[in-house]
Formats: sequence, C-alpha cells, structure tokens
Amino acid sequence: MTRSDVVERQVRIDARPEIVFEFFTDPAKMIRWKGVEAKLEPQPGGVYRVVMNEAQYVANGTFVELVPHSKIVFTWGWEGSSDVPPGSSTVEVTLTPDGDGTMLRLIHSGLPVPALAAHGEGWDKFLPRLATVAAGGEVPTDA
Amino acid sequence: MEAALKALADDRRRTILRLVWDDERSAGEIASHFDVSRPAISQHLAVMKGAGLIAERREGTFRYYSAHRERLEEIKQMIESFWDAGLGRLKREAERDERDARRKESRKVRKRP
Repeated sequence: MTRSDVVERQVRIDARPEIVFEFFTDPAKMIRWKGVEAKLEPQPGGVYRVVMNEAQYVANGTFVELVPHSKIVFTWGWEGSSDVPPGSSTVEVTLTPDGDGTMLRLIHSGLPVPALAAHGEGWDKFLPRLATVAAGGEVPTDA
Repeated sequence: MEAALKALADDRRRTILRLVWDDERSAGEIASHFDVSRPAISQHLAVMKGAGLIAERREGTFRYYSAHRERLEEIKQMIESFWDAGLGRLKREAERDERDARRKESRKVRKRP
C-alpha cells in the first residue's frame, strides 16, 4: 500500500550511477535538467540552491546525506520567505546499478497531508510555485 | 488548484487542516488551539473555504468545518507531474553523457598500440 504523505517516482536510466549522480552535485549538470542557475555544495549541511526557470523562484535547502554514487538526500524551501525554515520538505534519491544502467528512485516527503506531516515543516512558497509549474504543464525547457 | 496551494502556504492553516482532517470541528474549537484572535482564525477559515480545502456546515449560529481530502490528493498528483517532467529530462541528459563517455572510452582503446 502506498503512503499518502510521500511522492515516489522511479525511472531507469541507460547511464551508469556515477554519471547520474553528478547531475545532482554538479551545478553545470543540474541546470541541464532543472533550473537556470545552481549553487551546490555536495556535503552534509552544504548549500542546495537552484534558481528556477521563472527566476523569481529559488529553491533553497541543504544537502543532508550523500553516498557516491548511490544516494542523495536534500531538503528545500523557498528563498525570500522569512518563515520557511530550512528543510521544508525532503527529497531522497537512490541510485541502484541495473545492468549497464541505473534505477533511480526518488522519494519526496513532507507533503501537506496533516495526519502524517511532521511538525514544523513549511510549504509557504513551494506550493504556489508548484501550482504555477503544474498550470503550465511542465518545467519549461532550458535549450 | 493555485488557490488551494496558496491557502496551504501558511503554518496556521496547515494546523487548522490537521485539526479538521479526521473530525468536523466548530470554529470556536479550532480557534481555541491558537494564540491569536478569533477574527484572525475566521479569516484563515474563510481563505481555506474559498480555496476548497475545507467545507463549512452551519447549524444555527454555529459553524463546523471539515477537510476536503480530495484536494490534497490533487496536490500530490501535481507534485508527481513536477518530478516526472524533471526526471524525464535528467534521463535524457544522463544517457547523452553516457554515450559520450562510451565513445571516448572506445577511442582510447583503439589508440593503444
């Protein structure tokens, strides 16, 4: 039975885990799939900051855990909001070798399901931003 | 949808939603959980009702509130779409890098005497 307070996504990628891993830790690679500008300090407590395509929205959080090349955990909230604590929601990505490729699994927790939401999590800016993206259908392409 | 999300972008409103998630509660009961004025809570309730997050039932002079759980299911689906779009692009870009890496590696092999 799937939990209602998390979003889980899985994708098989025809690339080895060490290549996929870098797309979460290298700013130049991050912006090839998410955002237009990124600052990433890939160590626990390090900055995770991505300026989204709409520029006025900046995802800001910290790396929690990194295990090359199998796991990345980071938090994020939205910049510019004085009452969004670091760690509004948590994203956990695991990379498992699968033949010549990688099985990527993403778990995004901290959804606003009251019964299961942890105390203190804030979605003050994240949710309106998500609404905009969803209304547009998808994240605009960078290319 | 956007209204629902904006309505949730507030700590107190999320707390209110938690309070009415399982049981219907009166406005007075809800207000008693907070340290702010009753009008301030009424304002929150109005925003949430306008956004479709909670339903209001009136009985005489009393107002009772309960959660619209389907709304939150919609939000979850939207987050799923957000990640689907991003991961699709990640897959494309990572696979491109993998092909480049393999090409370079095979060239190196051929150059060896």
